Amino acid sequence: MDELYLDNIDEFVNDHDKIVTYKWLSLTLGIHVNTAKQMLFHYLDHKRKESSAQLHATYLVSGKFVDNGQTSHKVSVVREEQLEDVKAKMSLIVSVHVYSVQKALLKDSGPLYSVDYDAVKDNLKNCSKYSAIRCATAVPMSSLELQQAREMHRPPSPEPENKKPAMNGNGILASKPSAKPAKGIMGMFANKSTPKNQDSGREIKSEQKEDAPVVDAPKSRPAAKANPMMNFFGSQPAKKPEKNVKEEEAAQSSSTAAEKQRRSPQPEQKRGDVVAEPQKNTKNDSRSKNKRIEDSDSEEDKMEKKKRRRIKLPEPDSSDEDVIPDSPPQMETREASPSPKKEVEAVTHSYQGNSDGKIRKRRRVLKSRTFVDEEGCIVTEKGYESESYSETEDDFQPTKQALRDPFKASSSKDDEKKSQKKSSASANKGTKQASIMGFFQKK
Amino acid sequence: CRRLTEQEYSMVADILCEFLEVAIHLILYVREVYPSGIFQKRKKYNVPVQMSCHPELNQYIQDTLHCVKPLIEKNDAEKVVVVIMDKEHHPVERFVFEISQPPLLSIRFSSPLLIRNDTLLSHVEQLLRAFILKISVCDAVLNNNPPGCSFTVLVHTRDAATRNMEKVQVIKDFPWIVADEQEVHMQEPRLIPLKTMTSDIVKMQLYVEERTQKT
Repeated sequence: MDELYLDNIDEFVNDHDKIVTYKWLSLTLGIHVNTAKQMLFHYLDHKRKESSAQLHATYLVSGKFVDNGQTSHKVSVVREEQLEDVKAKMSLIVSVHVYSVQKALLKDSGPLYSVDYDAVKDNLKNCSKYSAIRCATAVPMSSLELQQAREMHRPPSPEPENKKPAMNGNGILASKPSAKPAKGIMGMFANKSTPKNQDSGREIKSEQKEDAPVVDAPKSRPAAKANPMMNFFGSQPAKKPEKNVKEEEAAQSSSTAAEKQRRSPQPEQKRGDVVAEPQKNTKNDSRSKNKRIEDSDSEEDKMEKKKRRRIKLPEPDSSDEDVIPDSPPQMETREASPSPKKEVEAVTHSYQGNSDGKIRKRRRVLKSRTFVDEEGCIVTEKGYESESYSETEDDFQPTKQALRDPFKASSSKDDEKKSQKKSSASANKGTKQASIMGFFQKK
Repeated sequence: CRRLTEQEYSMVADILCEFLEVAIHLILYVREVYPSGIFQKRKKYNVPVQMSCHPELNQYIQDTLHCVKPLIEKNDAEKVVVVIMDKEHHPVERFVFEISQPPLLSIRFSSPLLIRNDTLLSHVEQLLRAFILKISVCDAVLNNNPPGCSFTVLVHTRDAATRNMEKVQVIKDFPWIVADEQEVHMQEPRLIPLKTMTSDIVKMQLYVEERTQKT
């Protein structure tokens, strides 16, 4: 490989201020992912030696992790500073490689996902062309098969939530890693494709441990997230075997291919999303991601047509409240068929007749209530309330507050401005903003 | 070619206001105007974004945009600016969103199905995603802000200000006032373009004016 790529990457990183992930690079330049990883590594090395620009990198670390006697496979994307730390915590490191290179110091992992989103979306049919994970039997279902699968899977609706993990979308992740038993001992650890994280997240594929220029020092993103994750593992003694999963790791007690928890637990409604992943043949990660994005896109389109909405989708919208169906969430159904996340909502609603002809439905909505408690702190609590709504109701109301986590604005938050805001708020909840114009307004 | 209908203008204004809400939250997060603890990851345009959980802050931003929306509908808003100010209320950074809407729609949207035109909308969504991404990484090109910053939102209108004041006072107890010179103009600004988008229904440009000496 010639040296031109160094200039290419340089241009992307320095001139365009882009975040260059290995996946994006591979799709943009049309090269194999492993080549992309190596390129990034060399670029980083080169630049560091020159000590010219200020560059930041993230790394993907995957390996075995033991927690309370339970072994699991953990894949995480970490910042450079945390790389050594994370590596030290793993009992066995399967793979470490550069995940991305960028100029900006990323405060969270969100942009990493965004970077790949469009690149993958544009190459939906062949986004696994350059990937290292292969499975001959992973073939997208034809639409006929898809429909049959959906019909079959709908009646045995949500399974009981006996495994009620503390986190929201992770129940599904328990599913599988289907892996191809590759050659020899490397086969045991390699190619553990893991199901997508909540929103067709990212990788989580464990790469073949090969010549990969082992780069060190990823930063472990999920320092705080590791805990809830571990809780999840703790409560998961047995894994539900997936249909056509070829399980290589017989040795492991809990064969969860971890998720790289890049994001904090998404709200419940995302569970629906994750159901789509563990399709029976989830060997090829990117392929199933294909399907998911495809599905979600087509769902969105359908929903848009149905509800005459715009870009704003009925559910996972930041300013909307959580909407979940009355029946227990669909996340437990992983009968290997991509149940569309939104169709679930639409279909399982109970219909109520209405005099003016509109279709009224009932739904359980996650509503948050803000109130001032004894200590004078503003507390936001979320709770489910059943409400009825009409299909044509305009749910774009500017005053919605979808506050998910109970947010205790206690004075331990040391921002002075905020505490001022809070004290004025608790003192006088009615007014929005103290303003000098208030003096002039009453005429 | 045809003119956009009122409904379509309203739709475009909705899209823009939603976007501006997300963008403002993200700017507050990335530029550390408020501690990152109050932010929570949410999803918009199918990608993760950071939104604040603080009810007062959220209400303030929503009310602001509620007032801005009618201006955008009438294409009266030329720029929406998020100004970050230091303790002395001198602006240190100004995130300027220049918005313009084409008066005429091209022929391929001749039927009034613009609202349901998925290709157009998903294209616009993609462009807005790119804006969001750019804001997320803007601290690569900006210097750090001093501590104790606050923010405000300014709207530059095309027409005479007094006429628009009436339009803008749509929410009681949420008054708008004419901005001070010192908030509007910055000394020695450095101009950093971030992103431009052109689509059939709206054109938007985002750049940052940064004060050379921040502390």
